Amino acid sequence: MNCSTIASEHAPHPYRLIYRTAYLILLIGCSTAMLAQNSSKPAGSTAASEVRAIHLLGFEGAKNNAKGELSIKDNELQFQKDGSPAVPVNIGSIQDVLLGEESRETGGTAATLGKTATPFGGGRVISLFAHKKYDALTVEYLDGNGGFHGAIFFLDKGQGQAFKDELVAKGAHVTQTENQSARQSSPEVNSESK
Amino acid sequence: MKANKKFSLVVLAAVAMIFVAWPSHLPAQAATADSAGAKRWSVQVDKVDPGDVNLASSFQIAIYENLFDELDKTKTFKQVLRTGDRNATDVPDLLILKTTVEKYTPGSETRRAVTTVSGATKLKVRSQLCTRDGKVILEQVVDGNVRFFGSNLRATHNLARNVAKTIQESPLPQPSQEPTSTPAQTSEVSSILAEQFER
Repeated sequence: MNCSTIASEHAPHPYRLIYRTAYLILLIGCSTAMLAQNSSKPAGSTAASEVRAIHLLGFEGAKNNAKGELSIKDNELQFQKDGSPAVPVNIGSIQDVLLGEESRETGGTAATLGKTATPFGGGRVISLFAHKKYDALTVEYLDGNGGFHGAIFFLDKGQGQAFKDELVAKGAHVTQTENQSARQSSPEVNSESK
Repeated sequence: MKANKKFSLVVLAAVAMIFVAWPSHLPAQAATADSAGAKRWSVQVDKVDPGDVNLASSFQIAIYENLFDELDKTKTFKQVLRTGDRNATDVPDLLILKTTVEKYTPGSETRRAVTTVSGATKLKVRSQLCTRDGKVILEQVVDGNVRFFGSNLRATHNLARNVAKTIQESPLPQPSQEPTSTPAQTSEVSSILAEQFER
């Protein structure tokens, strides 16, 4: 017994080095994971010039409910659906950018069918957890004839504000105050307006 | 026997005559439709007025955009223009569609999915078709709801579809005869509940 303790205390140098390296790797790994968890909340606040978005409606030339990349390039706001050419709008023509919050059910038609087919009302339980919150970015702009357009994009939560800030920095007009965006966020409430 | 032959010949001739006459009748109909179409109104969709209702801007924009699309789909109007469009000044017979939100009940998609009976998103608007000089020629109160499936914003699509449908079904005066002092046709569409089952 004595022999074994002595052996571990006076382990040869290469083993001690391996132990220390292993501890160090574990420590770095854990802290990286923790930092990643913490920073996952404002994920979009770093690089906002190109974000993944769902185009709900209103962006001329883009299909409704299309998923793609929303980006700011030069003086244009562009939406590019996967595998399609980008649809641009001049940032100078943007009249207002508004931010809200929307919740949307995930999974699409397949999930809806699956939930319907689930026995004993299991689909309802799935529905409880199958929702995702998005930042709803509303962009109001004018076309070449002066016609008013409004486009709505759903961005991953936390990305909307950074993207809006970048648009404003590039020259997009914003007529309403910041409080407006807080007021207009429509979490799923039940009260009746008016 | 001879009489039978004669009878069948007459019937055959009559049928042939109908076939000959029918195609010429169709273009005539189309021509009248075209001439009537030449006198159709154009419409300019105005921005949605939220009134006293605290309505998210995404809802206002969604109503506006859906109205534009749905009115275009009905083919009731010669042209559907956006507010601010400079081309509108040259359009002779132009109506302006004004929409004011009267009531809004924000629902919950989760509650709809879980309970089925609660969580409906409800919208009620007053839509007015006015001439350039502000005379209201049609006024309606229209609902748009989402009761079962679909996101909250789906209510705006249902609402726009109902507005377009009621305009399509309402008789409008001929563009040439501008309405003078006739009162606006007011129809209270209390419950056009066209709930959507599609997402």
